[in-house]
Amino acid sequence: MTNQPYLRTFVTPAALCALAFVVAMAAVLQYSVRAYIPGSLEPGGLTLANFTALLKPLYARVFLDTVWICFLTAFCTLIVGYPLAYALVNVRNPIAKSIVLITVVTPLFLGEVVRTYSWIIVLGNNGFINSVLLKLGVIEQPIQFMFTTFGVVIALVHVTMPVMVIMLAAALAHIDRDYQKAAESLGAGPVRAFLTVTLPLSMPGIIAGVTTAFAWTFSAFATPQLIGGGRVNMVSNLVYQLGFASFNFPFAASLCVAGLALTLVVLSALRLAARPLEKIGPH
Amino acid sequence: MKRLLIAFFALALGFPAQAQDKLVVSIWGGSWRDLVAETVAKKFTQETGVPVEFITGGTIDRLNKAKLTKDNPESDITFTTSHVGWLYANDGLFEKLDLAKIPNAKNLADEARISPFHLGSWAYIYTIGYRADLLKGVKFESWNDLWNPALKGKLAAPDFDPSHIIVVSAILSGGDAAHWEKGQDKLKALKPNFKAFYTNDANSQQLLATGETPVQVVLSMNAYYMIGQGVPITVVIPKEGGVLGVDTVAIMKGSKKAELGYKFINALYDPVVQAEIAKLKKGSPAVLNAKLDPEIAKLPGVFTTAAQWKKQINIDAKLRAEKTAEWRKWFAENIMN
Repeated sequence: MTNQPYLRTFVTPAALCALAFVVAMAAVLQYSVRAYIPGSLEPGGLTLANFTALLKPLYARVFLDTVWICFLTAFCTLIVGYPLAYALVNVRNPIAKSIVLITVVTPLFLGEVVRTYSWIIVLGNNGFINSVLLKLGVIEQPIQFMFTTFGVVIALVHVTMPVMVIMLAAALAHIDRDYQKAAESLGAGPVRAFLTVTLPLSMPGIIAGVTTAFAWTFSAFATPQLIGGGRVNMVSNLVYQLGFASFNFPFAASLCVAGLALTLVVLSALRLAARPLEKIGPH
Repeated sequence: MKRLLIAFFALALGFPAQAQDKLVVSIWGGSWRDLVAETVAKKFTQETGVPVEFITGGTIDRLNKAKLTKDNPESDITFTTSHVGWLYANDGLFEKLDLAKIPNAKNLADEARISPFHLGSWAYIYTIGYRADLLKGVKFESWNDLWNPALKGKLAAPDFDPSHIIVVSAILSGGDAAHWEKGQDKLKALKPNFKAFYTNDANSQQLLATGETPVQVVLSMNAYYMIGQGVPITVVIPKEGGVLGVDTVAIMKGSKKAELGYKFINALYDPVVQAEIAKLKKGSPAVLNAKLDPEIAKLPGVFTTAAQWKKQINIDAKLRAEKTAEWRKWFAENIMN
C-alpha cells in the first residue's frame, strides 16, 4: 500500500459503487420474499409464495424460451459476425476497412429502441422485406416475421453484433499471420489453413464473444417487447408485465432473482462446455 | 472552500432546489406535459404570477420517486391515472383535498370525483378503433363483434393494462369488474383473434398505421392523434359503452405550496381551460360546463353531459388498483401465452 499511495483514492469510489450494487441486490432479494398486498405499495410479511408461483408451466416456458433465444442469438451473431471481424482485421484497403468498421460500429450509436423500431419497419407485413418479396412475386402472402421468435432473434442479432465483432476482431488481431502462411507453405489451401489454424486460434475470442452475447441478450427488453408484441416473451418482459405494470414488486423481484440464478447456471454450464475448446486457443 | 465544493456537488447531482417561487408539477412527458403547460399552467401563472416547473416520467417511475420522497415531495402537484392515484392515496402520499378551496370543482362530473385525495383532470375511453380500409364489411356495434372469427389474428390490446377487455368480457358474460371471473371463458375464446399486445401509445400507433393489427382496443385520444396524422381509423363506441378512463390531479402531502396547488387545480377546472384541453387532446373535459366546439363535442369519447358519462363502462378506480395485479397475471398466464 505504501508503494501505491494513490491506490486508496482509486479503489474507494469503486468500493462505494460495489457497495451500492450490493445494497440494491439485497433490496431486490428482500422484496422477493415479501408478500404482495393488493392496492398497496408496501409489501407484507415474509413469504415464499412468490417463488412457488414461479413453478407454473408458463414461467418455466418463458425461462426456457429465454435461454433458447439467447443461444440462437449468440450463435447467429457469431456466424454473421465472424466474417465481418475477419474482414476488419485482414482487409488492407483503408476504405474497405472503414466501411466494415462503420457497418459494425454504427448500431452502437443508435439506441436499442430506435434500432428495434427500424426492424419493425423492415419486418412488418407491409414492411421492406415483405413488400420486395411480394413485388418480385416470390410470395403471395406476407411472411409473418413480427411477433415471432425468428423476428425477435433477427433484431437481437443486430443489437448484439457490434459487441461480438469487436471481441472477435480483438482475438483475430492477436493471431500471428505467420502461422497461416506457414500452413499454406506446407501445402494447406486457404480454407484448410483457416479451419485448422486461424479458427482454433481465435477460439478464446469466440468463447468470449458467445458468452458476452448470451449474457447481453439475456437482459434484452425493448427488442422482445416490441418485436415480440407480447407473443414472444423473455424474462425481462415478464418482470415488466407481471411486476411493474401491475405494481406487484415482490413478484417482479422474485422473477429477477430467478432470472439471475438462471443466468449464473447457464453461464457456468457454458464455461464448463467451453473448457475443452479453450485449450485449443492459446498460442 | 469545503462549502463551495459541497454546493457545487449538490448542484451537479441535481438536488432539488427548495425554491418558493415556483409550483412543481409531476406529469408524464411529451404531449401530456405540453398540454398542461399550454393550458392550465399558462392560466395559473397569469393569475398568480408563479411559474410552473415540470418533472416528467413514466407512471411507475414517478410513483416510486414519490414513495422515496414521502413527506418531502419533489413535486407539489401530481397527475396520474385514477387507479394509480389510489396507490398514492393508500400510501399517504396525497393531501386530502378541501373542495371549498376549488370552487370550479362544483362542476365536476360525478365520475371524475375519484376520491377525497384525487380528482379527474380529463377523461377518455378505451374503445374499438379499426382500419375500415383493411377490414371490409366488418362492423362494430357491440363489444361482442370483437369475437367475430373474421378477425382472427387481427386484434391488438394493451399489454400494460388488460382491465378493459377483462371487464368487457365479464359484462358480456353477465358479470362485472368485481365478478370478473365470469368473463374468463369468454375472454379465452377471444385468444385466436389477438395478434399482438402493444406496450405504449407509440407502439399502438405503429401497429395500426402499418395495418399490422387493423383493429385495436384503443385509447380514444391516441386514435384521434393518429387520425390527425392521416391514418384512416374509425373510432366507435360499442352499445355497451366505452371503458372510461380518468386521469387525475392531486396535491402531494407535505407540499409547502398546497395553497398554490389549490389555485392550480381550480385553474384546471376553468371551463375555458377544459375546452382547450378537449380541443388539443380530443379528450373529455372533467367538468360539465365547458363549452366545446361542436366538432370536438361530437367525437366518441368526448362527454358534455352527465348522461354521456353514465353510459360508459366505469371500473371503480379503487377496485381496479386492488385487482390490477391479479388481472394482469391471469391475462399473462391465460391469454398472452
